Amino acid sequence: MSSREFVYEKFRGFYNNPSLAVPTPVGFAQREFAFLLFRERVMARHKGFANPKTLSAFLKERIPSDVYYSCAYYENPEADMDKKGWSGADLVFDIDADHIPTSCNKIHDEWRCTNSECQFSGGFNGKGITPETCPICGGVKFEVKSWPCDVCIDTTRAEARKLVDMLENDFGFASHEIRTFFSGHRGFHVHVEHEAIRSLDAMGRREVVDYVMGTGLAMFRKSRKDLPKQKKGAKVFSLNDYGWNRRLKNGMRKFILNATKDDLKEIGIKGRTEVILQNKDRILKECVEENRWSNVKGVGVETWLKVAEHVRDLESAQIDTVVTTDIHRLIRAEGTLHGKTGLLKVEFPVSQLDEVDVFKEAVAFKEGSAKVLVSDAPEFRLGGETFGPFKNKAVELPTAAAVLLICKGRAELVT
Amino acid sequence: MQLEPVKFTPNDLAKYPFLKETAEYMGKIGLDIEELTSPELGSILSRAEERVNHAILYVSTGQRRENPVEIPSFPVAIILALATKNSFIKKRYALAEAKQAHSDFQFESSEKLLALARNFDWDIELNRDSSIPLEFVLGFADYLRNVTHLRDEKWKLINRFLVDGKVYLNQHDVARLLQEEVQRRIDKRLDTKELPPFPQKVVEIAEQLNVLAKDKIGEAEMGGFPKVVSQSAFPPCIVALYEEASKGRHLSHVGRFTLTSFLVTIGMPPEKVAEVFKTFSDYNARLTLYQVEHIAGEKGSGTAYTPPSCSTLQTHGVCVNNDELCRWIRHPLAYYKRKQKTMPTPPQAPEKT
Repeated sequence: MSSREFVYEKFRGFYNNPSLAVPTPVGFAQREFAFLLFRERVMARHKGFANPKTLSAFLKERIPSDVYYSCAYYENPEADMDKKGWSGADLVFDIDADHIPTSCNKIHDEWRCTNSECQFSGGFNGKGITPETCPICGGVKFEVKSWPCDVCIDTTRAEARKLVDMLENDFGFASHEIRTFFSGHRGFHVHVEHEAIRSLDAMGRREVVDYVMGTGLAMFRKSRKDLPKQKKGAKVFSLNDYGWNRRLKNGMRKFILNATKDDLKEIGIKGRTEVILQNKDRILKECVEENRWSNVKGVGVETWLKVAEHVRDLESAQIDTVVTTDIHRLIRAEGTLHGKTGLLKVEFPVSQLDEVDVFKEAVAFKEGSAKVLVSDAPEFRLGGETFGPFKNKAVELPTAAAVLLICKGRAELVT
Repeated sequence: MQLEPVKFTPNDLAKYPFLKETAEYMGKIGLDIEELTSPELGSILSRAEERVNHAILYVSTGQRRENPVEIPSFPVAIILALATKNSFIKKRYALAEAKQAHSDFQFESSEKLLALARNFDWDIELNRDSSIPLEFVLGFADYLRNVTHLRDEKWKLINRFLVDGKVYLNQHDVARLLQEEVQRRIDKRLDTKELPPFPQKVVEIAEQLNVLAKDKIGEAEMGGFPKVVSQSAFPPCIVALYEEASKGRHLSHVGRFTLTSFLVTIGMPPEKVAEVFKTFSDYNARLTLYQVEHIAGEKGSGTAYTPPSCSTLQTHGVCVNNDELCRWIRHPLAYYKRKQKTMPTPPQAPEKT
């Protein structure tokens, strides 16, 4: 049996399990479903299902490697795009380690130049963040073997936490109205299905994105320097207790409390570092709490703006902007397998966001084992166990770990 | 505190004929489109004509009449605007009605304004938090629906007090947002494709209005772009995308779309645009050309796409290297137009291939 057939068999077994719980999103019959089919390796789109039963039958028969449904609700989910009759869409957020700098620097990712003319035999390759161009041949296309590590997950978890905090406190959604998922790879999905947001158009969603990302705050506008003179004189730094002002205020409190000389230098504050460090208590009390930011001599508006801009970056949530503004987006269906990992997209209560062990919850294949030859894999956790690191080693692994390594192109089945 | 429900009087309906209650009022008097041309109803028809006429000429709706004429003249004016089948007139009429309403909104009490907003099913209340000196709280979804066309940064959600799903607003803000709502609703009423047969008199008036509109627009219609593509007038975001693309670097989906739609809009032929992407390692000449032609509107749905606005590009991280001119424009095409005007006309060099 080839590695691919092995994975296919596992996926087939999963979708044929009588106790399979198919996703049942609200407005089930109004959603477009799409599938990446294992055998055919093509995307089957524009599918609609009257009820979960017919979806279940489809899954059993066709065995997809990936299952998606639209965030949108349609009158005719099976029609061509312009004839579907869009009647609304959930508000969805995607936080993926691919888009965010992480402290692991993706050292576990492998890349290889795929330019057939690359002078380096087999294509130049390396580990970590994929370069823009191949240092040997200048090629720009790479084959990347990414890896979902705990650092990546925790980085995206922190972003999801900030997002959820905004959805709850600023946007006013109750925690039961916010659905949180592990994506099945290396990130989180957050869905809001509330009636109030369904009819929002792409422009309205863009405003939500800008809010979440901290984009467009008036106090940082570029033209501030060029304000007419009379207005310039009145330039003050001030923060109130509402919306983003509150976020900046809390963030500045945190930042100033813990700031070191290096922290300040890093954000471009040079001459005033000592003044700030020696007056921390006063700053926290008079500036932050009492909103009298001009009280500390020598620290002016420009300095506070620098701090605030840095704090804005810390407090904003890094989401994939394109996903949220796309009112037709296909999103991975919960309770289905991710073709790149064999892990589940799995839902958990918002209250569990900080502690949920995604590499335990997302395990789909809980029985059996398989012998694989691992080319290269870092140490990893799965289902409560720790494995590796492996380098050109044949090992007997639990099914889930074997599937993960094969799907990630790190191992081959030993037969 | 439960508010007394505000009952709209005929005077209110005359001021705000787009309210739900107008339909009720009209139902009672029972007006038939065929009767409009009868002499008794002539004053209604002439007031309706005046509404549209003033909208075309002055973006206003003219002097108000007595209620029995004023109220029905609104739905009749809608019929006239529909009968013109002229998108300029329709847009202008919706704007004029909305502006007129706005100037009246500003003089209403908070309670009346609240009732008007609720007539549009807004999730709005009076603010009871005395620490915030703003009179209204509005659900953020209703807020977002109505700021789409408001460009000042003060309308950006991020620059608002957003607490627990509510945006805090003063009376001026609410009046301005209501104007948007009114315009959107009238736009929608004028967007209907299935038109009834109009009486001859209505058709005649519509024709006169069309002549009036033609004079008003004159030749000031949006001019196209000059034939010559001048790269030195590209805005910084396009320059960056163009350079990345010619180096074969990866562009985001938004980036590719922006660059392509920009280049085709300013008149670069699709074959030339497709060549820009030649250095991409996954370049496929036929597929790329098809995609470019699709964006140019020559294939597929036939819609020619234009690049996204500056604010959209900011959202997706495509806006880079802002320069002085960027401050004054809101769209990369506007940048290009403006910059081109200020540049000396280049000598016509023979095209290199």
